[in-house]
Amino acid sequence: MGFWLELAASGLITGGIYAVVALGLNLQYGLMRIMNISHGEFLMLGAYLTWLAHTVFGINPVAFLPVVAIVLFLTGLAVYRLCFRRITRTSPSVEIIEARSLLVGFGLMYLVQNAAYMTWGADLRGYSFLADAVEIGGARFAGNSLLAFGFAVAASLALLAVLRWTMLGKAIRAMMQSPTGAQLVGIDTAFLHPAVFGAGLALAGVAGALLSMVYEITPGMGEPYTVTALIVITLGGLGSAAGCLAGGMLLGLVEAFGMHFTSPSLKMLLSYAVFIAVLLARPKGLFAR
Amino acid sequence: MTLRELLGAIAAGALALAALPWLASDFLLSLALTCLMYIGLAVTWAMFSGATNYLSLATSAFFGIGAYVTAWGFGSLPYALVVPLGGLAAAAFAALVGAGILHLRGAYFAVLTFGLGELVRHAITYSEKTYAHTVGRVLQDAPESSVVYWTVLLVAAAAVAACAAVRASRLGLALAGIGADEERAQTLGVDTRAAKITAFAIAAFFAGALGAAVAVRWTYIEPASVFNPFIGFQTVLIAMIGGAQTLAGPMISAVVFSLLTELLRLQFPYAYLIVLGVLLIVLVLYLPGGLASLVGRWRRVRA
Repeated sequence: MGFWLELAASGLITGGIYAVVALGLNLQYGLMRIMNISHGEFLMLGAYLTWLAHTVFGINPVAFLPVVAIVLFLTGLAVYRLCFRRITRTSPSVEIIEARSLLVGFGLMYLVQNAAYMTWGADLRGYSFLADAVEIGGARFAGNSLLAFGFAVAASLALLAVLRWTMLGKAIRAMMQSPTGAQLVGIDTAFLHPAVFGAGLALAGVAGALLSMVYEITPGMGEPYTVTALIVITLGGLGSAAGCLAGGMLLGLVEAFGMHFTSPSLKMLLSYAVFIAVLLARPKGLFAR
Repeated sequence: MTLRELLGAIAAGALALAALPWLASDFLLSLALTCLMYIGLAVTWAMFSGATNYLSLATSAFFGIGAYVTAWGFGSLPYALVVPLGGLAAAAFAALVGAGILHLRGAYFAVLTFGLGELVRHAITYSEKTYAHTVGRVLQDAPESSVVYWTVLLVAAAAVAACAAVRASRLGLALAGIGADEERAQTLGVDTRAAKITAFAIAAFFAGALGAAVAVRWTYIEPASVFNPFIGFQTVLIAMIGGAQTLAGPMISAVVFSLLTELLRLQFPYAYLIVLGVLLIVLVLYLPGGLASLVGRWRRVRA
């Protein structure tokens, strides 16, 4: 019993992180059709920032979370201003925005990832934080992964609440439904687009910071998370934040149980199989009506 | 230029290049081989993706499949047979997968094709580990470097000729129609599905054949090196920078970039990729039509 609980919980913990990573990407894609394939690279930046703060200055990683979020938010504003603003303004159609932003994303991926390799080298880095085991209902968990899970769920729920109940969230949802209509009723695109892009990167950074508490980090750690985020978005449906949360948890569970019954080296294969199956069978997402 | 003149020019160019093994040093020959490989990859990528605006990142998957056909077949089969077999395997894979995913557009298609490379890589890694109990395979008695060079030259020339022929054919028009407006093309009676699958498979054939031909250069073949996503990215980059709507653009930029890569990548691996990234961003933002669009602009200014 304890074993199955542990397996399910470990799936949900990874799933929580997946949800946060995917939420940021989903916001950007759903709102602006920007397919930012370098999303995972900013997750990696968040992880390295936290690692630096903890090992060099001895700052508590949890206390550092808001700083990571703000730094990545500002980075997002800068990246949007430098790269994506021009694309959204000059592209004749949505499809071309998608294609061009994808290519720019690849460029950013090269840029950020290799800059990180140059700065920090290819070694695995890590620190020990709350690594003691906690026992709940006969199952044992590392304290740091429970903490990461708690923060991931809290961040996802906070975002859902903002989208659902605030004026800002209403404006964002309106823009997702009809960009032109939203502009006609006076929603300010010039303010919302960069802000949402920044928020997406901030979420990625927070996810990275949480991951750095649990796992060791490398400059190449972000790429698999980008792919996973895309899978989660496909599962949950484009532009659906609640779907993202559910999809993330679901993928976490599928991976945990799938790896247990087959073999850990099949993890990526399992994710891709889920991805392709969903794309073929339900391209609008599992929860689409 | 008519198609016949163009094909003649391609044949003449290939014949001239065939003399290289007698003239150049080993280093220059391997440089030329890399150039030819990227010419073949970029031109066929542009034939499908440039015309239809379906951004395919599956090149590394096709290339790797070809290379693995060599890894499995070389030794028991002659080199001259392994190369077309590699192409056929990749083309069959592309047709099969294409039938399933070519109705997806935009980012989904791009991400899914990128995933294909990873999927095949992980599948091969797993099956080699479980059934053959190896991580990689060693190739023995590789053909001479001049034979490899001529083979790659032949495949690359065939790729360019095939692209020229496709561009001049009904299929080429159908592809361009799909790129401009797929629904309109459908309404006008184009079988868009068949056109897309055919072109996707043709592009895959050449990528696979090139993978199979080049694989003998490496004495040791493992999934991580032949399914290197870098080959796919570099191909896309070359075609986009050269101008994916043209035939000559990708060829010229393939030469420039292969030389740059070979000269800089080993010495400054990270810095080179950073520069590549910045270049890609700047180019997409300020010159989305590629270098070939500069020529058009210049002509218009002069006229």
